[in-house]
Amino acid sequence: MVEHSSIGSVLPAANSPVAMRRRAWREFKDRTARYGVALGGVSVIFAIVLIFFYLLYVVMPLFSGADIATEAEYSMTENKAVHIALNEYNDVAFSADASGHVHFFDADSGKGISTPALPLAEDAVVRSFSKGDFSTGVMAYGLDDGRALVFKRDYKISYPDDKRQVTPLISYPLGERLVNVAAQDESLVLLTVQSNDEQTTLVGLTGKNTLAVLGLVREENFMDEDAFTIEEKRSEIQLSEAENITHMQMDIDQRELYLVDAAGFLIYYDISDITQPRLIQKVKAVPPGVDVTAFEFLTGGISILVGRSDGQIDQWFPLRDQDNNYTLHNVRHFKDQTAAIVALAPEYSRKGFLALDADGQLGIYHTTAERTLLVEPLLDNANAVMGLSPRANGLLTLSNDGKAILTALDNEHPEVSWHSLWQEVWYESRDKPEYIWQSSSASNDFEPKFSLSPLTFGTIKAAFYAMMVAVPLAIMGAIYTAYFMSPKMRTMVKPTIEIMEALPTVILGFLAGLWLAPIVEGNLPGVFSILVMLPIMTILTAYLWTKLPASFRESIPDGWEAAILVPVVIMVGVVSMLMSPTLELWLFNGDMPRWLDDIGVGFDQRNSLVVGLVMGFAVIPTIFSITEDAIFGVPKHLTIGSLALGATPWQTLTRVVLLTASPGIFSAVMIGLGRAVGETMIVLMATGNTPIMDFNIFEGFRALSANIAVEMPEAEVASTHYRVLFLAALVLFMATFIFNTVAEVVRQRLRVKYSSL
Amino acid sequence: MEATNSQQTTAARAIDIESLQRGQKLDMANETTCLEVNNFNLFYGKKQALFDVNMKIAKHRVTAFIGPSGCGKSTLLRSFNRMNDLIDSVEISGEMLLEGQDLNKPSVNVADLRRQVGMVFQKPNPFPKSIYENVAYGLRLQGINDRSTLDKVVEKSLKGAALWDEVKDRLQESAMGLSGGQQQRLVIARAIAIEPEVLLLDEPASALDPLSTLKIEELIYELKEQYTIVIVTHNMQQAARVSDYTAFMYMGELIEFGATDELFTNPAKKQTEDYITGRYG
Repeated sequence: MVEHSSIGSVLPAANSPVAMRRRAWREFKDRTARYGVALGGVSVIFAIVLIFFYLLYVVMPLFSGADIATEAEYSMTENKAVHIALNEYNDVAFSADASGHVHFFDADSGKGISTPALPLAEDAVVRSFSKGDFSTGVMAYGLDDGRALVFKRDYKISYPDDKRQVTPLISYPLGERLVNVAAQDESLVLLTVQSNDEQTTLVGLTGKNTLAVLGLVREENFMDEDAFTIEEKRSEIQLSEAENITHMQMDIDQRELYLVDAAGFLIYYDISDITQPRLIQKVKAVPPGVDVTAFEFLTGGISILVGRSDGQIDQWFPLRDQDNNYTLHNVRHFKDQTAAIVALAPEYSRKGFLALDADGQLGIYHTTAERTLLVEPLLDNANAVMGLSPRANGLLTLSNDGKAILTALDNEHPEVSWHSLWQEVWYESRDKPEYIWQSSSASNDFEPKFSLSPLTFGTIKAAFYAMMVAVPLAIMGAIYTAYFMSPKMRTMVKPTIEIMEALPTVILGFLAGLWLAPIVEGNLPGVFSILVMLPIMTILTAYLWTKLPASFRESIPDGWEAAILVPVVIMVGVVSMLMSPTLELWLFNGDMPRWLDDIGVGFDQRNSLVVGLVMGFAVIPTIFSITEDAIFGVPKHLTIGSLALGATPWQTLTRVVLLTASPGIFSAVMIGLGRAVGETMIVLMATGNTPIMDFNIFEGFRALSANIAVEMPEAEVASTHYRVLFLAALVLFMATFIFNTVAEVVRQRLRVKYSSL
Repeated sequence: MEATNSQQTTAARAIDIESLQRGQKLDMANETTCLEVNNFNLFYGKKQALFDVNMKIAKHRVTAFIGPSGCGKSTLLRSFNRMNDLIDSVEISGEMLLEGQDLNKPSVNVADLRRQVGMVFQKPNPFPKSIYENVAYGLRLQGINDRSTLDKVVEKSLKGAALWDEVKDRLQESAMGLSGGQQQRLVIARAIAIEPEVLLLDEPASALDPLSTLKIEELIYELKEQYTIVIVTHNMQQAARVSDYTAFMYMGELIEFGATDELFTNPAKKQTEDYITGRYG
């Protein structure tokens, strides 16, 4: 110690100010690094959790049910209403009574706004009322002299003083006149009307059990828009005495007429040619002992809703069979109410509806999603009419004791359910339940088809074909590079393949879609010839190599033998491509895509084969790099130990090296799979983005990721479509999360099992 | 300083001589030759690692290679089963005969040679498999998959490696769970399961604790009944204890070869004496 200090230590003495300062500085750096790393780790986890919860936050409203809340309650003196309606803002209500009087009033208080006088004579006797389609606002009164008055409720909106002012008014599509539907001595017991710009159709049931069909086609003078003539078309249908009609409805397009009789039969007429109505089908709609108590069209005029006395509601729509004949099918039931359904109110722009039963219970349903969103008591008196607002967020009910209730409805996303997302759904006009993704269309009454199944299927299909290409190539390449290749060659090959990963996938997708897809289409036999011949020729070359004279083989340095495959690969490629037209001519009548079509295999230019090749190419570097590291990292003493026991290199590879490297190889494949599942640009650009469920390699698909990329920009924020896209993102997120978690768990277990010293 | 050193040497020698009381004197002239090395040179690229080595290794005897680090003893050992082939740019000249056959001839199948000439390394290297599968590995390589045959050989080999009693109840457990000494005996069992003629041991006990070392040494003593054993060791006491013949190598050259008793008690070369008395190394 004494000796030591005499030499002069370079270190400061312990506890000297210098030593203490240095120690403090070192501890500070230590601590900073520790907290810095911890902070980084925690923020990564926090960010992921945040993403997860944000997705969940956007998606959750899809699955919440409906809510109702009473907004106003008041008494009305007008209590004989047969029909009430709300305007778009839920502030102006309309009622029509059985005697031909209409009335606009404030929806919140019942205070009258206006009572327009209809052009009906004092002594006119109103026998029937029809309300047409909700969205058009057209209505008609049928009189006992066979005439009818067609009128329409309308709202004029002005903004005096920057305040919205709604002025309700009544207009007359056919002019202020009565039209003769039936002969003068026949009273209109039941009436149905539909009207649009071109045509107005009225169907009346007379006291003689005859259906009088009247079509008024407006023909504009093309020289002068204001001048028009109205052409009348008429016909009559005589019903049998047994047919005691209780309900009658016509679809908005004025092509179909549905009647319901007291015996529970549904009678379906085609009136697209008014002069020749055609009976299509008469079918018993309810079991014995059950009556039809309510009958309405669902929006769009395709499906009909049948409310029954036992509380069940059925959805029917006509289906075309192979012989082009339409027949009605009962596709769905809703059994959540127990008392007779007294009123049905379809929503204006969604395939949902409201049902009121005799116990005063209100049910809110959605047909496509097969969802019952709510069943709650609303009224104590079931003798009531109800009017749903166009935005389906308000409901006005008026009981015959004069009590009016304005209810606010909160029912944002009824279209989505577990069933509609993942299972086959019987959509309107489809001949069987199907998986369909079709999120939007031009028309308002379109039935959105939000099935995630075809998209998930597309993602799986893309990943499957990509992995088919990538896994064998990448793993075998990695095995060769890590285990057989000369170190010098390896230092060139490995970075080259890893650099492939840096290629932006948008470029790969672009090349795949615009360059590769036409080449593959034009040289399909050649492409398949390459896929088949390449492995065969490689193995053949390897075999021939072993037959070459030993002196020649030994002149090639160890690990460079693979170079002889380069000309073989080039030759197979060139010969296959040159042979392609000849093969096509011989085997496929000169056009393989058409030949495939003929044998029933659909062919798209941008198909899964192209995606498999290009996405496989994109995934190869990931799998290759990790696998190569895993194999190269197998301790040399294990390899040498195996060789020293008389194992050939191949035996050592298959029995020791791959076994020891298996955790790494497994995680390489899983990470590659995760990449293939999440890949967007390639699947977006190289497939037709057709959401089909077909594993055919020659057809395209639509992947979840590509679907989000395509549709997110056009989805209205907070709409059901928008939230479903977020749900797709959540599904992707969960899939990759599950993949990675499983991969990590399995890898850890394998690592424990096969850990080496 | 000098005095202390020579005292220590004498002490060391006294131990050696005591432990070397093993009966009759050995003489290469009375032995059957198993391995023969004639004018053997080995190059790592341009660097020569072995210089003109000539040596005979006696059958069913233990031959020890001693010498300082980097003297080429492990290189020579690895040449006996051509493990040097795995290193790029190794070139050799001269002959190396196993039972009279040149083992470097192109017609020799390396895998077959290595089955005949087994090897155990410094660091225990069991495979990440069960104890049973580790021992059965060499047999399975030869295409022997019959369960009862394997059972018999595994038991025999583990008994041969003095490990049976310790592991017989957990043959299906991972070999990675064994202690270092057990792993090394397992590796020996694995090597003798394929019935080699020669067993090459490359510092087999240098990574082990004294007790495990002792067990390995006892094992070597038993194994020489059936196998020709060549052992490389840094530990001269170990060489003196277990070997019948000793080769002293220095800078790639074989300096002295002879019966262990002779070489340790009466080295012919000054270099040998310096090394065994601890002057360098």
